[in-house]
Amino acid sequence: MLTQLLLQVAVAVSILLSVALAGVVGRDRLSLLREEWKSRLRTSAPAIALLLAILLLNRIMRQQGRSLSQEYGVHMTEVFYTIEGEFVLLFQAIASPEANAYFSISYVYGYVFLLIFPVVAYAALPKTIDFRRLLIAYSLNYAIGLVFYILFIAYGPRNVFVEELTQTMLYDNNPQVQYLTTEVNRNTNVFPSLHTSLSATVATFAYQTRSTYPRWFPIAVCLSISIMVSTMYLGIHWGIDVLAGLALAGFCVSLSTYLVDRWSLTAILKQVRERVHEYRDTVTTPSQKNS
Amino acid sequence: MNSPPDESDESTKGISRRAMLAAGATGLSIGASGCINRVQSVVDPNSSTGMSVSILTLPGADGDREGAQIARHLEENLRSVGVNATINTRSRSELLETVLLDQDFDIYVGRHPADFNPDFFYEALHSTYAYESGWQNPFKFMDPSFDSEVRFTDPSFDGALERQRTVEGAEREDAIAELLWRFALEQPFIPVCIPNEYRLVQTDRFSGWEDGHLATRLGYLGLEPAADVEQLHALITDARPTRNLNPLSATARERGTVTDLLYDSLATYEETDDDSESNLRPWLAADWEWDGSTATIELREGCTFHNGDPLTAQDVEFTYQFLADTTLGRAPEASPAPRYRGQVAAVDSIAVEDDYHLTISASTSPEVGERAFTVPILPRRIWSERVDTRVTGNDEFSPPQGTWSLVTANNIPPVGSGPFQFADRSQGEFLLLERFEDHFSVGTDGVPEPTVPELRLEVDPGTASSIDRITSGGADMTTARLETYALGGISDDAPVERVEDTSWTFYHIGFNTLKEPFSNPRFRRAVARLVDKGWITETVFNGHARPVAAPVAEKWTPDSDSEVDSLVWEDKDPVTPFLGTDGELDVKAARSLFAEDYEYDDNGNLLR
Repeated sequence: MLTQLLLQVAVAVSILLSVALAGVVGRDRLSLLREEWKSRLRTSAPAIALLLAILLLNRIMRQQGRSLSQEYGVHMTEVFYTIEGEFVLLFQAIASPEANAYFSISYVYGYVFLLIFPVVAYAALPKTIDFRRLLIAYSLNYAIGLVFYILFIAYGPRNVFVEELTQTMLYDNNPQVQYLTTEVNRNTNVFPSLHTSLSATVATFAYQTRSTYPRWFPIAVCLSISIMVSTMYLGIHWGIDVLAGLALAGFCVSLSTYLVDRWSLTAILKQVRERVHEYRDTVTTPSQKNS
Repeated sequence: MNSPPDESDESTKGISRRAMLAAGATGLSIGASGCINRVQSVVDPNSSTGMSVSILTLPGADGDREGAQIARHLEENLRSVGVNATINTRSRSELLETVLLDQDFDIYVGRHPADFNPDFFYEALHSTYAYESGWQNPFKFMDPSFDSEVRFTDPSFDGALERQRTVEGAEREDAIAELLWRFALEQPFIPVCIPNEYRLVQTDRFSGWEDGHLATRLGYLGLEPAADVEQLHALITDARPTRNLNPLSATARERGTVTDLLYDSLATYEETDDDSESNLRPWLAADWEWDGSTATIELREGCTFHNGDPLTAQDVEFTYQFLADTTLGRAPEASPAPRYRGQVAAVDSIAVEDDYHLTISASTSPEVGERAFTVPILPRRIWSERVDTRVTGNDEFSPPQGTWSLVTANNIPPVGSGPFQFADRSQGEFLLLERFEDHFSVGTDGVPEPTVPELRLEVDPGTASSIDRITSGGADMTTARLETYALGGISDDAPVERVEDTSWTFYHIGFNTLKEPFSNPRFRRAVARLVDKGWITETVFNGHARPVAAPVAEKWTPDSDSEVDSLVWEDKDPVTPFLGTDGELDVKAARSLFAEDYEYDDNGNLLR
């Protein structure tokens, strides 16, 4: 069931990607990317490695995080519920089978597309700065999210408002989606909403690069708003999770701008090599004396 | 109403119908006798704080929809009467940890494992267990002195719990009727309903599903696989069996289906058509015979544990001693296991005659004493070594009862003597068991045996997806009870069948009776009247449940022929009927009920 769903997602996202790449990025940039991808990859290697490492860590923590969370985590469901009450139920006003379909598709397919497209689009730019910045921002989102997930244990609104959300609950309409979500996430990983923070990150980048990719900006904004609403409409996140997601996005985008190009890895390596040499000198000199 | 009814012949018969009706009436109105004068009535209400209540429950969509909906119903109605109620969600093991071990809660909603025999009440409510951790009396309920309005045969609640354990036949039925009435008036927990137990099974690969209860070991034995079927593939929606297989753990399970497969017990539960028959049949014991309150037990010869050690009468003796004191006398105080407390308490003494013969003296009637025969028999060598390694040097050894490492450790791999043995597991994903070829049932006539080499219990996210998967041939059965919301998704065309087994586990709302205001039975009764059990069974369970005032099988529920008044559900709860209709609370009536004992501030908040 999982493989079948993964295949569906892969096919749908590939189609979306090819259409969007042709319409937004354009043939010229893509053909240039085909020529220069090696050198661009080399320049961006540290950022890529960082993201891969964080994703791997995320994967490991899906199992290990459980026990850590039990040890150090604080239960927050009751707190969130006390603060915001039935806020997410407001979205039930627009509930309909069409809305169910739209938000479910946004949440699953739209989200995957929204995250992958800018990676390719920014890689297709001759200057790699936006590409690297995006990867760093993604990494920060995941890394900070991970820490929060260990510290805050909370269940989403679908676990409290069962009756009210029956019509729109993602898993009821698409039980097989549950195989996918349980594979990538634990159900207590709610605060902050990474769907929100990553969508908002992409939307902010789209705003910053709107002169390069004018067509992408409105698409990214619409899609990311749909995804944010979908998390509440489908009963997955509390309003507070979405707010925290927005704050996290703001923080990660600013920090990525601050961090990128701040240090050059080659310079650091050079420094390290010099240090090692110095150290070796100080260690070897006295021992030679002794012998 | 405070004066006992006529002391003449009625008192010898127990509760008179008149007294019962009077008590029932008190149940309806918590303030009638006015015997509890709350401090608040003299204290300025503005200086008091509002009453707030935290309702512990499982996550709805991902854990237990029905339970979460009961919690939500209660929460909304508590808010309506001015109580600041919130919902507090915990995972299955954390919920049990909070309630049974930490005992740090106000109210919780959960499913009680109960038992086919109403004697489970003894473990659940006896005051001796109020300060123990585990399934024994998590409500910390203690014999109240308040119910002087009613004349019962037994002077106390504990007395009633004890009496039903010793008397037999019609006398026991009366004792239980009286106990249930006391319970209904006290409401240490609110019994909500007994849901029907449905499971979905695949009929192409296996047949014989109806023979045993699928929550017990017999359900998994004697199944007839089609040719070439090598594995029984069961789906579980609860991942705990992939993490902890300690038969003593209080938090790893509500009921012990997996323990039943890995471990044997002297007797095993069997469904019977005739109500008067015993539900227990010999299992590890080849036979037993009662002489008064002493049972002479003959074990099956040649049984071994999964590691090859022989299973003898010494292991049986050890098991009962160990469950009664998991430190085996090494600590200043006995440390009873957080499970099987009621069963083990029925055992007075054990005498081993030889490797295969022993006698067990019960402090109860044989009927109740036989419940002790259902506990898992543990290998003495392994568990006594575990105690030895934990007893440290000369330091005083006093592990916390119910929570020390021996009873909470995951016990993987488990070594039992049951029909299946542990093979592999992956946390949160699956538990793989394999047939124990040396099990006594293999090749024994008249005893159902494991018929497939492997039993794989795989974690599936929920009932709806489990049904999808079995319908499309991706698995053979659901081990968990199907949640009723998804029953409509079962296809008529697929080779599947919905199997129903006898149900005795019940949903309930438990109070921490040590805490104010839940220590007040009048408050608890008032809360019970905020719960529309009839509406819950109709809407939340779609009619697949039985609302109850007495959470026991129908045959034990006092009816109109009984000595006492009926506790049978007839459109409404006979003792604590809902204050409203169709799930809608009559807020005014409810508030005035609470106002009899408590005060409201100007904003309509109930004060403690």
